[in-house]
Amino acid sequence: MSTAAPQVDPDAPSGSAAAAEERAAPERTSGWSLLWATLSRQRVALGAAVGVGLVWTAAKVTIPQLTKAAIDRAIARDGSLATWTAIIASAGVVTGLFTATRRYLAFRESRLTETLMREELHAHVQRLHARFHDLAQTGQLMSRASSDLNQVQQFVVMIPITLSNIAQILAVAVVLFLSDPVLAAVALLPLPFINVASRRFTRRIHSAVMQVQAEQAQLAAVVEESVSGIRVIKGFGAERVQYDKLAREAEDIRTVSLRAARIRSGFLPAIDLLPSAGLVAVLGLGGHRVLAGRLSVGDLVAFNVYLTMLVWPLRNIGMLVALGQRAAAALERVREVLDTVPAIASPAVPRALPRPGVGAPVGRVELARVRFGYDPTRPVLRDVSLVVEPGTSLAIVGATASGKSTIVRLLLRFYDVDSGHVRLDGIDVRHLDLAELRRAVGVVFEETLLFHDTVRANVAFAVPDAPDDVVERAARLAGAHDFIVGLPQGYDTVVGERGYSLSGGQRQRIAIARAIVADPRVLVLDDATSAVDPTKELEIREAMRTVMTGRTTIVIAHRPATVALADRIALLDGGVIADVGTHDELVSRSERYREVLAASAVPDGSDASDATDAAGVG
Amino acid sequence: MWGGAAVAPEDRLDAAQTRAVLGRTLRMARPYARTGAAAFACVLATTACSLAGPVLVRHGIDAGIRVRDAGALNAAVAGYVLVTLAAYASGRLQHLYLNRTGEGFLRDLRLRVFRRLQAQSLAYYDRNKAGVLVSRMTADVESMGELIQWGLLQFVASGILLVGSFAVAVTLSWQLTLVVLLVFPVLVAASVKFQRDSNVAYLRVRERVGQNLSTLQEGITAVRVIQAYAQEAAQVARFRRTNRALFDAHVGSIRVSTWYFGLVELAGVLATALIVGLGGWLVHRGDVSIGTVVAFVLLVASLFEPVQQLSQLYNSVQSAAAALRKLFAILDAEPEIDEAPGAIDLPARGALEVRGATFAYAGGPPALIDVSITVADGERVALVGPTGAGKSTLAKLMARLYDPGEGVVTFGGVDLRHATLGSLRERIVVVPQEGFLFDGSIRDNVRIARAEATDAEVAEAFARIGALEHFEDLPDGLDTQVHERGSRLSAGERQLVALARAALVDPAVLVLDEATSNLDPGTEAEVERALERLMNGRSVVVVAHRLSTVRRADRIAVVHGAHLAEVGTHDELLARGGRYAALSTSVGTP
Repeated sequence: MSTAAPQVDPDAPSGSAAAAEERAAPERTSGWSLLWATLSRQRVALGAAVGVGLVWTAAKVTIPQLTKAAIDRAIARDGSLATWTAIIASAGVVTGLFTATRRYLAFRESRLTETLMREELHAHVQRLHARFHDLAQTGQLMSRASSDLNQVQQFVVMIPITLSNIAQILAVAVVLFLSDPVLAAVALLPLPFINVASRRFTRRIHSAVMQVQAEQAQLAAVVEESVSGIRVIKGFGAERVQYDKLAREAEDIRTVSLRAARIRSGFLPAIDLLPSAGLVAVLGLGGHRVLAGRLSVGDLVAFNVYLTMLVWPLRNIGMLVALGQRAAAALERVREVLDTVPAIASPAVPRALPRPGVGAPVGRVELARVRFGYDPTRPVLRDVSLVVEPGTSLAIVGATASGKSTIVRLLLRFYDVDSGHVRLDGIDVRHLDLAELRRAVGVVFEETLLFHDTVRANVAFAVPDAPDDVVERAARLAGAHDFIVGLPQGYDTVVGERGYSLSGGQRQRIAIARAIVADPRVLVLDDATSAVDPTKELEIREAMRTVMTGRTTIVIAHRPATVALADRIALLDGGVIADVGTHDELVSRSERYREVLAASAVPDGSDASDATDAAGVG
Repeated sequence: MWGGAAVAPEDRLDAAQTRAVLGRTLRMARPYARTGAAAFACVLATTACSLAGPVLVRHGIDAGIRVRDAGALNAAVAGYVLVTLAAYASGRLQHLYLNRTGEGFLRDLRLRVFRRLQAQSLAYYDRNKAGVLVSRMTADVESMGELIQWGLLQFVASGILLVGSFAVAVTLSWQLTLVVLLVFPVLVAASVKFQRDSNVAYLRVRERVGQNLSTLQEGITAVRVIQAYAQEAAQVARFRRTNRALFDAHVGSIRVSTWYFGLVELAGVLATALIVGLGGWLVHRGDVSIGTVVAFVLLVASLFEPVQQLSQLYNSVQSAAAALRKLFAILDAEPEIDEAPGAIDLPARGALEVRGATFAYAGGPPALIDVSITVADGERVALVGPTGAGKSTLAKLMARLYDPGEGVVTFGGVDLRHATLGSLRERIVVVPQEGFLFDGSIRDNVRIARAEATDAEVAEAFARIGALEHFEDLPDGLDTQVHERGSRLSAGERQLVALARAALVDPAVLVLDEATSNLDPGTEAEVERALERLMNGRSVVVVAHRLSTVRRADRIAVVHGAHLAEVGTHDELLARGGRYAALSTSVGTP
């Protein structure tokens, strides 16, 4: 190992980081530029939405003019009513058609924006390194991808709508000023306040609504702990304590909800009041101007209609500002995730693993003087060196939190070592293409995660297009075939969180089958039997034994019988490999080894027989 | 309009159910009858004011402008000003009254449902999923809150406005009312269809939002597996599928609303056109005045808008009714374990005896069959046996967390079913496997066991198990906030808090479910010591997983396949050479 080290060392730590930087998305200055990048992909449809909205505005603004003309000309003087009726009706068809189209385009494009950004976010998260995921909370990432992007959607949908609203406001103002500037000025005077008021309202109500949600969350927390802690509550008769807690939270919700109601009660009637004030002005001032012969009755009606027409656009513009601020904050949070550069990435020029069947046997795993800590100041592995020769198996034994699983994570390059080397077939894992490395190392994790998909898809997870017979052979090897064919739809049974539920042992065997399909040169069984009912453990062990034959295997286990499957055993203690040898050798010479094994023995009947098995192996 | 409410077909109430839910809701809301009535009066007033607007405009035109009577015009304007201000005032009040009524009702509902849930036995919690119970108390009640804030008022006001507008319309001119009725049915039909289609579309969106979120969550929680097998691209493709399916569902619901809103706009303009056209003709004939035509043009909005509102709110109201029905069902579920009438207090000490107990969890096979065992005052009994053999169930019967199906459990000769719940919880205390912590301080968490305990008593409880120093050494001592299920405390510390609770109660019998997971050696020893001090001088029943615990017991009961297989001291059982003997020798080797 000392021969390879000097050649590898110089570029080892820097190589991956440089590659990661190269691949990183260009630094985005703000959340807005992120939104802009997505929107520009949709510019045609968004442009169409704006265009359609402008036509709609034109038709909408024309209708009261037509109504006015009809009233003034047709009703008052000639008999051309049918013509006017037809003209108004066809203008109605145009507005109906265009409002529908504008709405359709605006909503569809905003949903598309949300959809595209969510895909980008998800894909990025998939590339991010383990350390990121250690710190990130699932709930937070979920809310980036759901509620934050929803806020962006709510803003985007407003863009085309707002543009035609602005056009509408301008057009109406022009029309009104042309027909009677004085009346227009008086009638329009209260309207800007709608905009001001709704901006103010949206801001205030937002903080009130946030408070309501915060109180609701607190109540939910009390309910949640009361339901999950019901055994404690019942055991001590503490119902009253929890009830009092809940009563406080329920009262808080009521208080803040009423605060929000007061804000609404100040705003909503005022929104109705302001246009009414305009209408009063039109009737009073306008009426007298009609009396003075300066205005027609038709004008009066048109003024009325125009004023009511402006209420929504003005409210919307007020809302847009607040929605924009919220969207900006949401975009900023999304950007933070997207700007996180994956710390673990393939090197720019990866080295290739030696091909199996050509030359020396493959699957040699080597750790050389590895030092690593999740927090570098507190190393979990201080100085670990070990070698697993091709085709042999090694069990790693140690107390809880001694770093057994950490070794696996380093081999998979979920993390990079602080110093030292992890090598697969003589090549530092940092010099390998990530996908190639991870295809070469197959892991059966302690907790089996099944995806919401068919059993077949779950087994074929590593090779999605694996033929059925390969899947079935893997399932047979893993001892899973028999129970799979007994499932309601056999291999097509949908499992996972919302699907058919399998026992711990069944899940574990599917995980083993999954690893077999991947056909890795190195197999890692990370505590594969710990989550299994002891009575099922024997079957799992049989499956493991089959799979391990002739393949480099690393086994991490607590239970003596599982440990005994391996050719050799390494005892990990205090961040170093304390001892290596066969089970018998370690039992006879290592006090610590006996302690670690004894700690996991439990008087549950079947485990007892494990211990006998283990003893019997020697 | 977007992301609106939807109600699943199976949740939709029929007429009788709707009446039942409505009647019960009104009964429950009786304390708020006065504010509710005030809110309703305000809604009426606001509606009347908004209907008065067009009538006053008509008056101003016909009685003022047309006949050149400035006085009548001024009177109309003055009336309009008054009506506008009155509308504003009653609008404010209706919001306040309605919310006061609604929020009061919701608070009562929350408290009642919660109290009823707490009164239920553990068997109830076994039958009902925790998530469902939580969402009844949260999401279901919240959705009703939203309806109260926005929808209910609109729903009621829309109905009133619709009726009122028609009344005004007929009064003003029956001819023009007929004209409006030419378009109105189209709008109603479209609204009904929209209400149905949008319900289906929203349900689909909701379902796909759920699917998409769970694919996303799967992608995040399983990221290590995905990366370990280099399947990032496949996961991205999987997510894209559900994400695009969601997008399609959104587009589907957008389509439904697209044609509807287009039609609504068309219908409004069409009605205006017809009023102007046919109304103009009627004006020529001298049947109606021009002011009436203008009033009708203004009225069209108040006739059409309520229909839209009603059709959009209908789904919300329906789903709220469905939610209420589920909540009422919770209120109607009678608690199974309750204090018997004339219950008596348990004696201070005594033997705990199980006689011929048989028990099965709801719908399951028997978990215990004809089990009899007596724990003498001050005796320690360890329950051992394979997982699922029934030892935990036996422990739970002994503390009356469940009642046996057949047989009886007594303490000091009193049937636990005839004991007051208060004395039962004081004599027999269960310490569960994992130390479950509630939000609050460490002190609050111990006080769960006895709400009225003083600070000194809590400290004394810690002292009694020898853990006072440990917790006083924390920066905030016993006032340390535990946060999110005690994530700040180690597993061992959580266990110590659970033991302190038991010490605070100072029971005669301690039922322990020993933790299976290992603690780090330092804390392990501390927990062991605390446990030993706590057990001292009490009867103890322990569901044992560790050999050391079993050895310390006076007697050992082996539970196997729902039966009590053998009972005796360690030596007796070894000598007998049964199950325990086999178990014990094999474990003893290393």
